[in-house]
Amino acid sequence: MDPLAGKYLRPEKWPGTACPGCGLRLLHREVLTAIDALGLGPSDLVWGTAIGCTGRQTYATWRGDTFAGTHGRVYALATGLRLALPREKRILLTVGDGDAFTIGLPHLLAAARRNVDLTVVVGDNLGYQSTGGQYGVTTPAGSRTDSSPYGTWEPGWSDGGLDVLGIVREAGASFLARHTVLQRDAVVESVKAALGTRGFSLVQVVYGCHVHYGAQALGDGTVGAIQGWIRARTVPLEPGPAPEVAPAGFRTGVFHDARGARPEFTERLRDHVAAVRARAGRTS
Amino acid sequence: MRRVFDTGNAAITEAAIVAGCRVFAGYPITPATEIAENMARRLPEVGGYYVQAEDECAALHLCNGASLGGLKAMTATSGPGFILFADPFGWAVSAEIPVVIVDAQRVGPVSGITGAPGQGELYLSRYLAHGGNYETIVLAPSSVQEAFRLTVRAFALAERFRTPVTLLADQMVTDGWEALAIPETSDERAAMGLEVVPRRAHPGPDFYPASDAIDVPPVVLGRGAGGACSDWTPTERGHDTEEVEAQHKHAHRLIHKIRRHRHLIDEHEAWGLEDDPEVILVSYGTPSRVVKSAVARARAEGLRVGGLRLVSLWPFPDHLFARRARYLSVELNWDGQLVREIQRAMSPGSSAHFFGRCGELPRVAELCEASRALLRGERLARRGWELEAY
Ligand code: SF4
Ligand SMILES: [Mg+2]
Repeated sequence: MDPLAGKYLRPEKWPGTACPGCGLRLLHREVLTAIDALGLGPSDLVWGTAIGCTGRQTYATWRGDTFAGTHGRVYALATGLRLALPREKRILLTVGDGDAFTIGLPHLLAAARRNVDLTVVVGDNLGYQSTGGQYGVTTPAGSRTDSSPYGTWEPGWSDGGLDVLGIVREAGASFLARHTVLQRDAVVESVKAALGTRGFSLVQVVYGCHVHYGAQALGDGTVGAIQGWIRARTVPLEPGPAPEVAPAGFRTGVFHDARGARPEFTERLRDHVAAVRARAGRTS
Repeated sequence: MRRVFDTGNAAITEAAIVAGCRVFAGYPITPATEIAENMARRLPEVGGYYVQAEDECAALHLCNGASLGGLKAMTATSGPGFILFADPFGWAVSAEIPVVIVDAQRVGPVSGITGAPGQGELYLSRYLAHGGNYETIVLAPSSVQEAFRLTVRAFALAERFRTPVTLLADQMVTDGWEALAIPETSDERAAMGLEVVPRRAHPGPDFYPASDAIDVPPVVLGRGAGGACSDWTPTERGHDTEEVEAQHKHAHRLIHKIRRHRHLIDEHEAWGLEDDPEVILVSYGTPSRVVKSAVARARAEGLRVGGLRLVSLWPFPDHLFARRARYLSVELNWDGQLVREIQRAMSPGSSAHFFGRCGELPRVAELCEASRALLRGERLARRGWELEAY
């Protein structure tokens, strides 16, 4: 067994449910590398997931406490859990692009607005892949998928100058980054930074689905093909304000770093409760 | 004992505090908004947390998460929000999360009439989660004081059965003003028959016993012991599985932990059944107060009429319909819901009839007239469009 997986994961759950060669397994390992670098153990971190390829691969792998929410709702569930846990416990959520940026976006934005101390790692396989390959909001414009046999025609969250991370930033997030799974060191550094953030943090990691997206949109379902295609489309995030028309491709880097700029949700709430009780003459 | 004159909404709030509720997440909706407002005021005073959620789906998920972290939690809504609870309700059922849900029924469908009472969610409260494979606990108060008592009871049952418990109220109970006695000491609570079950925590790593056992502490995360729960069919360890055998075990537990201990849940009130009445009026919630008066008046006239008020609605009390009679279901809807369950549960030779009304209560005289018609062996059809034979 992989030594990192052996150290942190339940043995019966590794290598997990992802298809052979899937970048999701690389991502799973990159997250463990970050956890290892921070010296976190099973009692330091609660690991939540949603559904889809990312949920299935990562749920109940962590030796510590673990949970999975319904599609798109785990941000609300985790916000409730955050209320009950002591501040030093980290909450990590590994989710998919559909979960975070379509069905769950209102809840994700609410968590960002409140600046809830959660770390969300979005495993971006470029659409709905566990259901067999339908386009989603991170599927590049024009892609042929099983639900866009003539190519996608509606804009996604990264087409025509849109960037979903800009929305999450405006909603109040503390730390945001985007990388491809092939940028191993950068992913590890950003997940470390995210886990060290007192507030809402999110790292989007593009890995692409070779089995469905590769075969349907690129005409080549091999791991090599999707990796080569991702590499060729990877561009660094430009410093300064976002350009009017974003270049096509995966704009990678730290997108937003405002760690410590806004008070965290549960701290604010506990202060509020303490103030009410002080006014009423109650102690602690 | 604190004696006040207040609403059902206030009673539910104070009862939740007494029961140890320390998290409320909700979304404003008539006629349950006051519960949220009261919780926003009361929870900080006792060191609890009020969170206004982005929608009702999030509200119940927030409560689930807080409960998963070890805090007792409650949410409250009305029909349009209740339907949005479907997703987190199913999650709580399957993950065996204690949580309390209040539904102040108003007039539907959809937004309907906001400030009038309805009873359109009898079946929704039973089948709110998709996919079947579970039993659930639903309690229905008919007064402000009873709303208090049943809220405390809902929290106790939620803890003991590791499950969401629904308080199915109606707008007249939640908005109505009545005298309310609030116990302030454990002796006063005991004298009122109120049981407060403290939260116990099961840190894992096993998730559930494949049995119908109750009083099993719920999984509480944060101890690092490998606790696990999810929306998927679980193994006993809490891992996701696609195995049908595991699904059988889990579904059996969800169904039978409740059904086999239903004697701890069942509650009803009966009027005049000792005299073997020919006609029995059946109801729950606010309409049962009119029914009680109608039964008393009919009996004073010497009519062979009795009454049943259901307090626990689910699991449905089939055993109450074992006697042969003409049952008249009095409900705040026009389509007939409770009557369908009566028709299913009643003994051979019985008949089930329906008196519908919505947004307002029936009158005592109308119920007496309907009872007399049934005693004469008449059907209720076409005696006015509000009196339909079912
Ligand atoms: S379907 Fe695609 S994204 Fe999902 S595990 Fe398989 S290869 Fe990976
Ligand atoms: Mg996806």
